[in-house]
Amino acid sequence: MASALLWVVLLPALGALINGTRAFAKPLTPKNRSLTNMVALGTTFISAAIAAWAVITNGAALWSHSYFEWIPSGMGHVGGKIADFSIDFAFRLDPLSSTMLLIVTWVGFLIHVYATGYMSHENGYTRFFTYLNLFMFMMLLLVLGANYIVMFVGWEGVGLCSYLLIGFYYDKHFAADAGKKAFIVNRIGDFGFILGIFLIFNVFGSADYEKVFALASSGAVAHNSAIMTAICLLLFVGACGKSAQVPLYVWLPDAMAGPTPVSALIHAATMVTAGVYMVVRSNVLFRLSEPAMFVVALVGAITAIFAASIGLAQNDIKKVLAYSTVSQLGYMFIAAGVGAFTAAIFHLMTHAFFKACLFLGAGSVIHGCGGEQDMRKMGGLRKYMPLTHLTMLIATIAIAGIPPLAGFFSKDEILANAFGYSKFIWVLGAISAGFTAFYMFRLYFMTFRGEYRGAASSSHHVSDAQVAHADHAHDDVHGHDEHGHAGPHESPLSMTGVLVILAALSIIGGFVGLPAVLGGAHPTWFQHWLEPVLLPIGGHAYHFHEASHALEYTLMIVSVAIAALGILLAYRLYLRRPAVPDVLERKLGFVYRVLENKYWIDELYHATVIAGTLALCQVMWWIDRWIIDGAVNGVRHLTVFFFGHGSNLFDRYLVDGAVNGVAWSAKSGSMMFRRVQSGLVQNYALIMGGGIVLIALVYLFMKT
Amino acid sequence: MPILNIVTYIPLVGALVILFFVNKSRAGAIRIIATATAVIDFFASLYLWPNFDRAATGSAMWQFRETYDWIPSLGVKYDFGVDGISLLLILLTTFMGIIAVVSSYSAIHFREKEYYALLLMLQTGMIGTFCALDFFLFYVFWEIMLVPMYFIIGIWGGARKLYAAIKFFLYTLAGSVLMLLSILALYFFNDGGIPFLNIKGLGNEATFAVLQYHEIGHLIPPTLQFWIFLGFFFGFAIKVPMFPFHTWLPDAHVEAPTAGSIILAAVLLKMGTYGFVRFALPILPDATKQLLVPIAVLSVIGIIYGALVTLVQKDMKKLIAYSSVSHLGFVMLGMFALNPMGIRGSVIQMINHGISTGALFLLIGIIYERRHTRMIADYGGLAKQMPMYAALFLIAALSSMGLPALNGFIGEFVILLGAANSTALGTITYAVLAAIGIVLGAAYLLWLYQRVFWGPLDNPENANVPDVNWRERGMMFALIALMIWIGVYPKPFFEIMEKPVDYVVQKVDRSYFDKQPMTYPAAPAPTEEHHEVAAK
Amino acid sequence: MTWADTIFLLPEIILAAGASLLLIAPVTGFRSDTRTAKWSMLALLAITAVSLVICSNAVVKLDQSPAFASMFALDAFSIFFKLLFIATIAMIVLLSDGYLQGSRYSPWEYYSLVAFALCGMMFMASGIHLASIYVGLELMSLSSYILAGYFKNEQKSTEAAMKYFVLGAVSSAILLYGITLIYGVTGSLNLLTIATKMADLVTNDALMFGVMLLGAGLCFKIAAVPFHMWTPDVYEGAPTPITAFLSTASKAAAFAIFARIFYVGMHHFRLDWQYVLATIAALSMILGNLAAITQDNVKRMLAYSSIGHAGYVLLGIIAANETGLRGVLVYSVVYVFATLGIWSVVLMLERPEYAGEQVDAFDGLHKRAPFMALSMIIFLLSLGGIPPTAGFIGKYFLFAAAVKAGFGWLAILAVLMSAVSMFFYFRIVMAMYLRDGEDAEVNRSGALRFVAIVSLLVTLALGVYPRYFIDEAARSGRPVAKPVADAGR
Repeated sequence: MASALLWVVLLPALGALINGTRAFAKPLTPKNRSLTNMVALGTTFISAAIAAWAVITNGAALWSHSYFEWIPSGMGHVGGKIADFSIDFAFRLDPLSSTMLLIVTWVGFLIHVYATGYMSHENGYTRFFTYLNLFMFMMLLLVLGANYIVMFVGWEGVGLCSYLLIGFYYDKHFAADAGKKAFIVNRIGDFGFILGIFLIFNVFGSADYEKVFALASSGAVAHNSAIMTAICLLLFVGACGKSAQVPLYVWLPDAMAGPTPVSALIHAATMVTAGVYMVVRSNVLFRLSEPAMFVVALVGAITAIFAASIGLAQNDIKKVLAYSTVSQLGYMFIAAGVGAFTAAIFHLMTHAFFKACLFLGAGSVIHGCGGEQDMRKMGGLRKYMPLTHLTMLIATIAIAGIPPLAGFFSKDEILANAFGYSKFIWVLGAISAGFTAFYMFRLYFMTFRGEYRGAASSSHHVSDAQVAHADHAHDDVHGHDEHGHAGPHESPLSMTGVLVILAALSIIGGFVGLPAVLGGAHPTWFQHWLEPVLLPIGGHAYHFHEASHALEYTLMIVSVAIAALGILLAYRLYLRRPAVPDVLERKLGFVYRVLENKYWIDELYHATVIAGTLALCQVMWWIDRWIIDGAVNGVRHLTVFFFGHGSNLFDRYLVDGAVNGVAWSAKSGSMMFRRVQSGLVQNYALIMGGGIVLIALVYLFMKT
Repeated sequence: MPILNIVTYIPLVGALVILFFVNKSRAGAIRIIATATAVIDFFASLYLWPNFDRAATGSAMWQFRETYDWIPSLGVKYDFGVDGISLLLILLTTFMGIIAVVSSYSAIHFREKEYYALLLMLQTGMIGTFCALDFFLFYVFWEIMLVPMYFIIGIWGGARKLYAAIKFFLYTLAGSVLMLLSILALYFFNDGGIPFLNIKGLGNEATFAVLQYHEIGHLIPPTLQFWIFLGFFFGFAIKVPMFPFHTWLPDAHVEAPTAGSIILAAVLLKMGTYGFVRFALPILPDATKQLLVPIAVLSVIGIIYGALVTLVQKDMKKLIAYSSVSHLGFVMLGMFALNPMGIRGSVIQMINHGISTGALFLLIGIIYERRHTRMIADYGGLAKQMPMYAALFLIAALSSMGLPALNGFIGEFVILLGAANSTALGTITYAVLAAIGIVLGAAYLLWLYQRVFWGPLDNPENANVPDVNWRERGMMFALIALMIWIGVYPKPFFEIMEKPVDYVVQKVDRSYFDKQPMTYPAAPAPTEEHHEVAAK
Repeated sequence: MTWADTIFLLPEIILAAGASLLLIAPVTGFRSDTRTAKWSMLALLAITAVSLVICSNAVVKLDQSPAFASMFALDAFSIFFKLLFIATIAMIVLLSDGYLQGSRYSPWEYYSLVAFALCGMMFMASGIHLASIYVGLELMSLSSYILAGYFKNEQKSTEAAMKYFVLGAVSSAILLYGITLIYGVTGSLNLLTIATKMADLVTNDALMFGVMLLGAGLCFKIAAVPFHMWTPDVYEGAPTPITAFLSTASKAAAFAIFARIFYVGMHHFRLDWQYVLATIAALSMILGNLAAITQDNVKRMLAYSSIGHAGYVLLGIIAANETGLRGVLVYSVVYVFATLGIWSVVLMLERPEYAGEQVDAFDGLHKRAPFMALSMIIFLLSLGGIPPTAGFIGKYFLFAAAVKAGFGWLAILAVLMSAVSMFFYFRIVMAMYLRDGEDAEVNRSGALRFVAIVSLLVTLALGVYPRYFIDEAARSGRPVAKPVADAGR
């Protein structure tokens, strides 16, 4: 088992290493490409297979193993005691990490496959797969780590990979900016995370899940103690950064600058859900602090509705999906916040399926339309790319929360729990559910139905022209610069096949969480599966908040109704009477502009945080040059020009008078001596006498 | 076998050979000899690694001792010996020595003879400083280091080399003079006392032996400790350099030739931190605790201030130079956490900073040789033209910004862990503030990277710059290998410094380790109890 | 006195006779070229040295008691200094050689004057009686006045000589007046007697004033503030070899008598004069080192730095303890050789009409004379007190002595000032290595190179392995330090 998991993690790294060494080979020959494919796909597939085997053999057991002592930090003080702060490189396999493991490896593998088709025209083909494999490696570390530090390694690592992949088209300024933005915003989150870890060390004397949770659940730490709240909130700051929650969500929409498979894998299915995973992983700690839980739920709810509202008015297909991702992540945090940790993971899983499907579908669309991303230039693609259309429709229904697709079950479980926790949160959740349904179908209708609005043969020139003054993320320009193509077309099998699989998963994925009211087990199979990670605290077992059956039915009906409403609205606005949106834009122009411009949050941050920092830097720089260094040079000048010249003048005044006397008198030959003496004696008498007086005085004062 | 002497004086021998047996016109031969010397020295120093007893404690901790009478009438001994900390720094020195020599092949085009000779002499000075266990000897080597560096900056430096060189020399000299005063104060306290301060001495026989002072340190009256510490502080803090004594560093770095910058960043700056951990802390425990807060504050200021100033630099070298101020702030903070984590972290971070910053300076030197400018504005989009170079630079930058699985993270993490847990500092505030430095670190390095390597390749002069050649790759690969090693499996490094660090901790806080060990309950089994519905 | 006493004087007698011979040599139609003059002078020095060694051993065999009514001692202390003087003068001769070849002045008189000066210095070193000391002092001074103005037609030279002479006369007067006062109070000129007399006295202002005046006179000789004014001008004006002579040999001689008088004679009232000398030392170190910073003429710069060094040496005398005396001995040697080395380099650059004396004359010297440039660095580092050169060892003793004697503040000041001194020493280093100068012709005479090599060896040897030398210095210091030590216990 231990070595198996090690292989799961190492294989992608190996792939990255091999491809990495080949990434500098300039020309992109088919031979090169197929070799790259073999390495990348091979490694990921084998690791996925091993992962599956490991999960099956392990079952629901709590398995953990330490490979070697990684950082022997030494002994630290905890309260009155002393604890060994050393950190092992250890893995942990339990239902939670198993779930994540399967999602990451298999979805990851599928997206690799997809990418082989999608990226086929790229120059940086090998480089791309290097990064992608590296990402798999880091993500697996994050998931499998048995302590916060190993998780943190993966945590930062995936951040790096996302940076590299967002900046994949590094010679485009927007891509470079987006990459940097992503990394730095994440770093801000990590700032909180690492501080949380330090506090955990200070309280529990270790960062090892087993020790920490054991101690926490033994009731050793007081409920709602300030320190626990601090720890949880700091961890949550980290989660906000990674999972793009308010106020740190700004990087995710820009991250769409990366190639679409990246958006699907990293910025929808796996990496961005790491925050949720981390919070659920630390559920024992969070459950010790109600305030923290509430903050989590609230932030989640706000993010959900906020992002969803922005999603209403976006025209870039990937932007819509991006904001939808943010809002869905908000959902997951609602779940975690209200204590429905299983629901959070459940939604994480289903979301991984349908959102990946959506992104890849969008990718296929973009690919088909020669790099076009503006939905206003699409439409009627149904007939050009049937498979893509079908799969995407399924995924859209799933995310909209229409039974019996995956999204319905997970979302419903979340809303039900939210209702049990706080009506307010529930309202927010429900509304954003409506929004979601609306903008997703808006996307669907604008893209696949109606008439094709793009100029067929010239589509890729359009795209180029757009790139020229595109202020928004816009990928594929490379790929499709090389080959112009006539009109929209269906994508190759490597892409559509993946779409089909994911669509299938979005259909059936939900049934693992089939609730009792719909004839499922009680607790649902998924809840039961995750139960072992929800340790009892101080002897009290963990309770799922649940509503009564009657209430649950009503809630289901309500949420479905809301979803249906959203769909209907979208249908009316964007299919039946396409003119209406413009009318709306004119009618509530302000609201529309606000949404279209994403509440000007980016601009706000620029004006405050970034500008502020840079101004501060300039001030510091000025201080450094003129005050601190000025002081140094000042001392030097003082020495030279004041003391140096000063004591020199002192000498001049007393001596050079004499010198001149001589010099002058020496000229007038025979008279010299008399002159010399007359010229000098006063000075000398003065000086020597002065000296003697001086020492006499010193003597008289100092004499004992 | 007098291995320490061998390691110390091999470079000197090489220097003399170059000076007296090679015609100055034969640059090739000079390079070969210099390289050979550096390599031999490195392998000689490698002998220490396996033969060092990591378990030894107390005075047995200092190994490969070589003690001879030198000036008996003064109690001056020629006393060499290394513990884990100095051993690591010696290995760093010999390793970076090779890099420095090899990186100079293409950088130095005139007066090679003097150049390589000075470089090697400098190395002797540095190794000697780390080996010396006698204050007199230590001071001798400490001063010897100044002169070669002065010339390396002053002769082969850039436009304002004279200013930078003299600034470096006098600033450091001023510091070391104050340090000398402190050493003498210790000496007289141990011996006859210091009449004009009415301080009674211990009346021991006069000696400069460092270990002796480790023993008597706690006997020194706090006020005297305070002043002695202050003297040491100026000597070392200028070398580190700590805010606000750092302004010589950017000038020195910007003007120095590549190898000069590498050595300066990798080793010379460590002299200061080494001085603190070897002398100031163990000998002056009371003063250390007394001055703890101001120094920790200065370190934190250094971290943030350095990072902020770094952000707005336009010259790559200056940028990295200021980032050093920030990084060494971490080292100091960790050291003054006064617990094992902190000090271990700061020691490992000394090594890390040497490797990462050394690598960055090397890389900047590489591009400078091709384009003769270090202005960030002159670059952009290099990644297209020099992919390998870009990749190497990225790795170096990542390690410098403390990305996990690379060396920088290990150091910064352990340091912050120590600072956060420090009973001496008593608050997590320092750690919190210092952690901001990590965020800023990412900011300035990524921004630099973006401006230099990403975006369109719009400056035609960069259009056909050749990518790194094999010599340069070799150096970088070696450095990167180290980065990854320390990042992934730092245990050997921690093992070798474990005992010395604990020794220092115990010198400062004698009761640190005698406490009850922490115990953990067994993880409770997942409950089987069933879930009653809330609203029943 | 007995004839046996003459054995004490034999070296001086030989030297004086030789000096007279040198003086008359040209008159006797003897081949009068500089080379012969140089070699005969060196031969004379060699003979003197040999005779000195022989005599000292003989004296050891005889009873140790001082000769000539205890006016003249041939003890370890004096032998130490005499050997130092002879070596120094030998170096001076080598330095002068090239200089004289260029000039149209007779080398014979020149050398004989140098020899007479040496004779005076040797008397000073042996003098344990204020009268004999004074005589020796005057012999040295008068010879050096003449030497300073030896190149009659050089205006600057005569100016220098004039100033030196007038001031010297004043200082001698002060010195004499001090001696008289001391005699008046104690009724003796013999240092030991004075010491015993003083032991019975409670503090006595007249006597102390005498001591002050005596000290003032000596301070003039070692060029300590405020009796230093002559130094820059004389150093600048005098022929460079003579400047070298003034800044090395005559200074060392002054140190010697200073130490002996104050250690042996005056130590009972040290609490009274220590502070006075401390003030003077402080002033000298501050003014000397600071004023040197702005000098562009190397000779002036060295003049000021020599003022600073006088201040350092005073530390050893103030300390009035064994370490201090050892410091004076060690530092005299260290300082003399470092300075000689520097002068050898300066002379190498020296061109007629006082050209090549500016700091920028050193520009790019490393190209023209790599070895000399390198050794110049060592000498400067030694003066700056940077290890591993001899200067560090010498300074160590002086400062340590000051601390032991309770003058720690003076030691701190001294340390700081030696840091400041690096500032102007490194101006020269910077000029030599970091600047590119015009390729002015340099004097490649072997003599200069020889002086440089010797000085270099001494400076490095004493810096790297000073052990035996220090013990030797301690041994030589004992006769003088003994009274202090006795008083101490």
